[in-house]
Amino acid sequence: MQVNDQIDFVRQHIKKNKLRVFMTILAATMGTAFLIVLASVGFGIHDTLRNEILDNRLVNQIEVYSSEMNQVKVEDLKKREHVKAVVFRQSVSINQQSELDGFIGSHNMTVTEFQEEAKVGFALQEGRMPENESEVVVGSHFAENLIEPNTVEEAEPSTYKGSLIGKQFTYKMGLYEEKELFPEETTLTIVGVAKEPAKDWIMDFNIYADSAIMPDLTTIFTSHVDDENSELFYGNVNVYAKNLENVTAVSKALKDEGYSVYSIADQLEQLDVFFLAFKAGLVFVGTIAILIASIGIFNTMTMAVTERTREIGVMKAIGASPKLIQRLFLMESAWIGIIGTIIAVIISYGVSFIANMVLPIIVSAALGDEEIASLDITFSIIPWQLVIIASAISITVAMISGWRPARKATKIDVIQALRQEI
Amino acid sequence: MIQVQELTHSFKIGKKGKERKIPVLKGLSFAINEGEIVSIVGRSGSGKSTLLHILAGFLKPDAGIIQIGDVRTSTFSEAESAKFRLDHFGFIFQNFQLMPGLTAFENVELPLKLAGVAKKDRQKKVQQLLQLVGLTEVQDHYPNELSGGQQQRVSIARALITDPPIIFADEPTGSLDSETEQDILLLIQSLNKTRGITFIIITHDDTVAETADRVYKMHDGELSEGGVGHAS
Repeated sequence: MQVNDQIDFVRQHIKKNKLRVFMTILAATMGTAFLIVLASVGFGIHDTLRNEILDNRLVNQIEVYSSEMNQVKVEDLKKREHVKAVVFRQSVSINQQSELDGFIGSHNMTVTEFQEEAKVGFALQEGRMPENESEVVVGSHFAENLIEPNTVEEAEPSTYKGSLIGKQFTYKMGLYEEKELFPEETTLTIVGVAKEPAKDWIMDFNIYADSAIMPDLTTIFTSHVDDENSELFYGNVNVYAKNLENVTAVSKALKDEGYSVYSIADQLEQLDVFFLAFKAGLVFVGTIAILIASIGIFNTMTMAVTERTREIGVMKAIGASPKLIQRLFLMESAWIGIIGTIIAVIISYGVSFIANMVLPIIVSAALGDEEIASLDITFSIIPWQLVIIASAISITVAMISGWRPARKATKIDVIQALRQEI
Repeated sequence: MIQVQELTHSFKIGKKGKERKIPVLKGLSFAINEGEIVSIVGRSGSGKSTLLHILAGFLKPDAGIIQIGDVRTSTFSEAESAKFRLDHFGFIFQNFQLMPGLTAFENVELPLKLAGVAKKDRQKKVQQLLQLVGLTEVQDHYPNELSGGQQQRVSIARALITDPPIIFADEPTGSLDSETEQDILLLIQSLNKTRGITFIIITHDDTVAETADRVYKMHDGELSEGGVGHAS
């Protein structure tokens, strides 16, 4: 029998028992949708917690220490597998002072590569990234540290209030042990202001400059300091893995090569293990709902076989093979499973969407806290893997439920079946 | 064409563990030639239907050999039997055994579907056969919308659709009035002549038996040749 004829045959039988098949599909749909929505809550909470940690740029960050860190080594680190970015931040180790429109402040200069910074979430609240050595980005609290010299003694000294973008300021260095700063001034232009740090208690007074500025500053420094052992810049390197799963592999490779490394990925691994078990538990509970629905499929198929005993007998008499009979009934139960699953997936996405939209509002109303509603909490996520797992469980259970009735159909005795009353 | 040797069959009756064996076929041996109409007559319970069921492969004999052409069918598995039936046998039943959910056209088409014949080839053939049995007008009617005679014609068209060399007819006119019975018997005779199909007719009706070239009589599980039927 050709496949399209088999499908046609199954379709005709389903049409004959529309209501019964509809109710069975409804049960299968409810079971599968329950499984997907339930597990999606596990995925949602897991994702929210992960994002919360990832937003702080800490999880895929590996702090790397080496006594001989230099640009060559950094370039080598960038070429490694699974590495998203390598941020080599170097700070000026001596006294620094900035002056803008008569306001004076002490700001630490951090030299970095903006291209790499941008890859790991360094963002600006206004302006743009520097394009040459005289352009800089300043920290979000830069202006608060620019004080009018006459008001330093006052309880609330007057700070700079104007716009920073496009402003030029002078930058000077000096030794802590000497009263006077080095006379050389470097004029820098502010082209951007960094976004505020995620944590409220952190104040960002930094000046972020491109590493191209380093030769100029080093020349000034060496012209005043003879000591060969003292360095103007000290740095730290943070390697960022492409994703969390790669952190362990990257860390291990670095350790093997003698670097000292630190990451909090290990702690996050525990979170993942916990949520894996949690999600597995939810899928298990959801599967019970599908198993209950499978009883409906079993009943429907058993009744279908019983009702069609004479027809099956006639088909066998005129030459239908037992395998074909079995296949036709398995196709029917699989069809119930497939349609039930498709509808369930659509419904689940709808429920998930509504839950994510409505639940934060309800929670914030219940707790009387408007901030919760604006927080980025995802209550339910349906990843494609969940759809695959739920579909596989649902269709497999549907086919297993149809298996016994289908076997029963193949065992129907032709002679007995032909004797049945029409 | 059909060779039967020492065919034996018995039914078990009674509760499990206390079963009794009732012999139904007692070592039958006979032959049926190609293109013959053979009737097997006998009273109820004589074993004639059991013989048909075994020849058709619905039932496995306890012992004996059935050879159809070059093929020994008595040792077939269930699946092999089904395939052989589809390719070599047609069936006409007393109560027609049509699929109630299929139209006359679809009922005739069914064996071709089972054989995996493409739709366009099927349609042409079904049309031809419906024309042959005179049912073109009612091809879209369901079995419950047809008279007994029309239903039996559908059943005959279904039996013919795969061009089988052998057709088994189990009381083919048992549910029909005498006038329709004559029509059906004439149709069988005509198909036998024009297409050379071998008919094996099980009946208890002498009128039907007379249509046959040869008549076998079944009595208590034993077969005896009862002479020539219509003496053509």
